[in-house]
Amino acid sequence: MTDGLDILAQGIVTGNLALIQGLGLYAVTRYTKDTHTALRAGLNTFAGMLVGATLLWLLGGYVPTSPAPQVGFYLVIGLISALSAPFLTRRNVLSEEYVVDSALIGMLLLLGRDGITGVVNVWVVAGAGLGYVLTLVVMATLRQRLELSPVPKALKGTPIILITAGLLAIALLGFRF
Amino acid sequence: MKTFWEGLIKKNPVLVLALGLMPAVAIARTAADGLALGLITTAVFLVAAMIRFVLAPAMPGGSSRILEGLIVVVLTVLVYGLLFTANPGLVARLGIFLPLIVANTWLLHNSSGLRSFGSALLEIAGKGLGFALALVLIGVVREFLGYGAVFGQQVVTGALPPMSLALGVPGGLIIVGLLMALVNVICKQGGEYHD
Repeated sequence: MTDGLDILAQGIVTGNLALIQGLGLYAVTRYTKDTHTALRAGLNTFAGMLVGATLLWLLGGYVPTSPAPQVGFYLVIGLISALSAPFLTRRNVLSEEYVVDSALIGMLLLLGRDGITGVVNVWVVAGAGLGYVLTLVVMATLRQRLELSPVPKALKGTPIILITAGLLAIALLGFRF
Repeated sequence: MKTFWEGLIKKNPVLVLALGLMPAVAIARTAADGLALGLITTAVFLVAAMIRFVLAPAMPGGSSRILEGLIVVVLTVLVYGLLFTANPGLVARLGIFLPLIVANTWLLHNSSGLRSFGSALLEIAGKGLGFALALVLIGVVREFLGYGAVFGQQVVTGALPPMSLALGVPGGLIIVGLLMALVNVICKQGGEYHD
């Protein structure tokens, strides 16, 4: 993962946060009722991710080396980023809702797990965030189409969204080689 | 006791309320991992609720959710440290999803702040065990399809080729979706979210 385009492609397609890593599924099921809501929620998380990545870049020298304090460090950065994102995007929502954004906090933990440091953090997060926004918008579009389709009652709502997301994820797996 | 039983089945966090889907899809690849994460999450949230109840009167209004988030972060780091020493294999298997207990969407949707101490704990215990039960169920299905085993015991040998897709996130999404539909059929509900 050295080339910039590789990093972007991995973030958007082969390492897609929601569909391949399983992060941020709350947003996939709750914020995809229409494309506008999906786009705003995605951009909000994207902004939080960029804040988190920038903080990690700036504070890179202070990351603890022992496992538990290191995890604590990433979680605190994640919480700060989650709380600051709605102010940056001027989104009129309860900031506490973003405290539980697993895509944002999970992305920062993935950076720590993979030992990605420096400015590369921001580039990796840009790819992953873009992939996440695209996923939400695509899911919102698919969901609007699904509402016009004859879906069995038991599958309506979350089950059909998850199954659709699963099929989309299988399609993305095809790009892995 | 009604809140306890409701959390366990009728308002199951994963299969009915569609909360905590991330661990269900990403980590419940085996029944044992699902059970471990379910029980750890329940324990963390129970202790967090107790601490919040003690601290809540001293906190300004509206900050209790943030406070609960911070308490969960501290407890999660403590649990991570303890498990890293006691059972590093489990920590390695759960990966980033162990610290991601802090991002479990339960945190938003438990109404413990509105009830008495006892009923709040019962509600969290019920939802916690319901969460663990759902992760075990999902883990059993995925482990059976993916490894031909249940709780590590091989039940299918050779006759049925393993379906490795069930162990990944894409397979997890489809299996959780189908299990939710099955619950909808059994409970005679469906259509939209039930929270």
